[in-house]
Amino acid sequence: MKPFDIVIVGGGGAGLYAAMEAMKTNPALNIAVLSKVYPNRSHTSAAQGGANAALANKAKDDSVEMHIFDTIKGSDYLADQDAVDVLCSEAPKIIRELENIGTPWSRMEDNTIAQRPFGGAGRPRCCYCADKTGHTILQTLYEQCLRKGVLFFNEYFALNLSVHGSRSRGLIAMNMKTGKVEAFPAKTVIFATGGYAKMYWNRSSNAAGNTGDGQAIAYRAGIPMKDMEIVQFHPTGLRKSGLLVTEGARGEGGYLINKDGERFMARYAKEKMELGPRDLVSRSIETEILEGRGFDSPAGKYIHLDLRHLGADLIKSRLPQIREMTLNFEGVDPIEEPIPIRPTAHYSMGGIDTDNFGRTVMDGVYAAGECACVSVHGANRLGGNSLLDILVFGRIAGHTAAEEAGKFEPGSISEEDLRESVEDIRARMQPSGHYERYGALREELGQTLALNVGIFRESSLLHKGIQDIAELKERFKKVRVFDSSDVFNTNLQQVLELQNMLDLAETVAVGALAREESRGSHTRIDFPVRDDEKWHKHTLATLVDGKATPGEKPVTMGRYELQERTY
Amino acid sequence: MTETIDQHQEGKRDVTFRVFRFNPQVDSKPYFDDYTISAERGITVLRSLNYIKEHVDATLSFRAFCQAGICGSCGMRVNGISKLACTSQVWDELDKCREPGIIRVEPLRSLPMIKDLIVDMDPLVDKMTRYANWVDSTMPLAEMGKKEFLISEEEFQQYDKATDCILCASCVSECSILRANTEYVSPAVLLKSYRMNVDSRDGIHDLRLAELVKDHGVWDCTHCYRCQESCVKSIPIMEAIHAIREDALEKRGPRDTSGAKHAEAFMEDIEKKGKLVEATLPIRTNGVVWTLTNLLPMAMKMIVKRRTPPPPPLVKSAKGIKIFRAMFREMTEHVKQDHLKSHKK
Ligand SMILES: Cc1cc2nc3c(=O)[nH]c(=O)nc-3n(C[C@H](O)[C@H](O)[C@H](O)COP(=O)(O)OP(=O)(O)OC[C@H]3O[C@@H](n4cnc5c(N)ncnc54)[C@H](O)[C@@H]3O)c2cc1C
Ligand code: SF4
Ligand code: SF4
Ligand code: FES
Repeated sequence: MKPFDIVIVGGGGAGLYAAMEAMKTNPALNIAVLSKVYPNRSHTSAAQGGANAALANKAKDDSVEMHIFDTIKGSDYLADQDAVDVLCSEAPKIIRELENIGTPWSRMEDNTIAQRPFGGAGRPRCCYCADKTGHTILQTLYEQCLRKGVLFFNEYFALNLSVHGSRSRGLIAMNMKTGKVEAFPAKTVIFATGGYAKMYWNRSSNAAGNTGDGQAIAYRAGIPMKDMEIVQFHPTGLRKSGLLVTEGARGEGGYLINKDGERFMARYAKEKMELGPRDLVSRSIETEILEGRGFDSPAGKYIHLDLRHLGADLIKSRLPQIREMTLNFEGVDPIEEPIPIRPTAHYSMGGIDTDNFGRTVMDGVYAAGECACVSVHGANRLGGNSLLDILVFGRIAGHTAAEEAGKFEPGSISEEDLRESVEDIRARMQPSGHYERYGALREELGQTLALNVGIFRESSLLHKGIQDIAELKERFKKVRVFDSSDVFNTNLQQVLELQNMLDLAETVAVGALAREESRGSHTRIDFPVRDDEKWHKHTLATLVDGKATPGEKPVTMGRYELQERTY
Repeated sequence: MTETIDQHQEGKRDVTFRVFRFNPQVDSKPYFDDYTISAERGITVLRSLNYIKEHVDATLSFRAFCQAGICGSCGMRVNGISKLACTSQVWDELDKCREPGIIRVEPLRSLPMIKDLIVDMDPLVDKMTRYANWVDSTMPLAEMGKKEFLISEEEFQQYDKATDCILCASCVSECSILRANTEYVSPAVLLKSYRMNVDSRDGIHDLRLAELVKDHGVWDCTHCYRCQESCVKSIPIMEAIHAIREDALEKRGPRDTSGAKHAEAFMEDIEKKGKLVEATLPIRTNGVVWTLTNLLPMAMKMIVKRRTPPPPPLVKSAKGIKIFRAMFREMTEHVKQDHLKSHKK
């Protein structure tokens, strides 16, 4: 294949924006977008809430500066302040640009883009399209990419970077439709593969494919991961699937009830009760469960979100989507029964270490979106800032790669280079005596992470987690692929995704053990306070001799001094 | 083989999934495999398939991603109806089985088979491209990102429902025309075309419309309503199709391309939607040809303004519809002959 100027891995919001911007920057470039699912299926479509931008359509006194401050404070001061400047200053422009190319934003009375309040924001600046913001943004971007004739390789599964010395020569990927392992020689590669929170498996709100593939590929190529330990949990995930029951249920007056029938939030947030901030409610539910006041089931322990007292009429008129969802996914009608819930892993703040232009430490390799860590979210992402992140930094990465592609030699990937990836796969497909089931391993990984590297962390738990992950990695060597077919081998794909999750899980656990403080979403029982002296810095994890090796990186400060984070 | 999904819970029932199998590498033709599992209340069809894949048969192939009814990956036919596996409850499906206790699972129709429950989505993407299913913005490039278009709530309402579409292709699989002619534009693509056409930011409305009225386009639809009935997001697809037709007649007139065919289809509209009958009254006094050329475009404007006709079951046939039907048939004949004559010239 003729070398590409840019190969973009991922067709979510970040990847598509990168593609559009790269084409705009230099229309002569030869660009490809690879995605393991059709781009419009990407997880960006799941974002309901909206995207933040200080348009000041709703609150006339809103400003970019206030958005910057809210973001830095929300991050518990772990975000890099120069990066946050870029994020928030670019926000109004990018939201308007999306509007200009067809995103169907909801509207205010004066016909401007509608905005609403969102957690952690001092002004109502979250731009939305009903409850389908991410979906409509993704549709718009996909439509525009079709319009511009972006070259898509849909249902291609990225396997590895082809690295020689310290240089990337391009990407190696499997065509799912044929099973063929193909070379994508390229001057530059942009990773935009989304988050890794699915490693918590049934304890995650994420799509099945949010397995951190891009991060794992970059990690294996020697590129450092940043702040991997920092994972955001949402308080109300469905017990069986981890899917989100949105805040609306509590907003309308739902109760959280333990097995003794208590409205236990009275113990943790006497005034706000169920409406306390996300992390506090998550920790409270987890405490109830840990102290034995949860309900029991083979699918794990849980507590009740009870809406029955609101009455059938209110539930039907105000919470129809929540009812539909609990009926569809849990078979529970909230009019008649309480909803079984527990906290669920929701967002990965950590990711591939990049600078403010999307560059990684490896020449010609870039990353953007949830798979990257710039860092604009620090230790805690604000609702509505993630869509913004993928758009702003997706665009920047696309622009940078387009400008810099000329600096790099066109890569070439030989048959020899491909062979390694092919052989890895072939080996998996050989029959062997004793074997492990990938499904079981995947579930066990989720369980150990939720238990030992979950909401509450502590040295002995983390050691246990690290040991479990190591054992799972050992057992993974015996996992076999039973489907021997070349055509759409989803069995093989899921096994490879598990491998990626296992590689990254180690970095999450190792980072969590290293960070001896509590900051944002990272809570250590044995180090309950924020420790700015020792830990006001990013953690890094680099693969050295097959092991996650910890490192660190300073936080870039700016106009805002460290303060206690209170709301 | 009986396996258990979840050992707890009030109820469990034995369920057999009769699943369509086809691997082009080894099978000369498709066949069905039966998998019997014990499924508890609350389990979805997708979770059952996942369970079968993990515990019983790893070769069973299907697509799934979000597992939450938002990505559109898991469209398949369950008990003969195209829908999302991830939002379908097994126990509900048990009530719909043709053979008790056996849930049939098959791939979507009218798209090329790839393997088992996986079909090729590329034809749908190609059609989105052919019919320019995007907003071609009237904002000059240099102005992009600097200011907003001002858009009224009323305009937003016109495409709000249409933008719910997740391209799951359930409607594609149910469409009666597509089964006969895979080149047909497809309900989802008509819906998206409509959504673009009513967007005031878009500048290629006329080009899109010109494409839509060509062969295999909007006039081929038979109004069977199956797309709308099967839409997983309950989108009133037929309203979009009607709106495109009304728009085409208004902007391009009834003599456009294969004029007679258009008028016929339009009359079928009227026949079914008895409420629109007033619009055709002048025919009686002025004759068919005159009406078609002079008054229909105006009548169309009136209809367009009303915008959202009530959904099908609510549209009551107007009184005396029988008489009008007879009249329309007559009118069709007239138009056909008129058309033939103009061709001969
Ligand atoms: C339930 C839910 C609700 C949310 N709500 C909000 C909200 O209201 N506001 C907000 O700001 N954020 C929200 N978020 C977060 C936000 O949606 C995500 O962070 C964001 O969409 C990620 O976008 P992305 O482009 O980085 O990745 P994704 O959209 O996840 O796209 C990743 C892409 O990479 C591709 N890919 C992955 N691996 C491979 C591989 N091996 N080979 C080839 N391609 C690959 C995939 O096919 C996909 O196209 C929410 C998240 C969840 C889970
Ligand atoms: S109404 Fe038209 S588009 Fe819809 S299924 Fe019938 S023929 Fe197809
Ligand atoms: S119109 Fe409805 S059924 Fe058809 S693709 Fe869209 S969401 Fe699916
Ligand atoms: S898996 Fe996404 S819609 Fe069913």
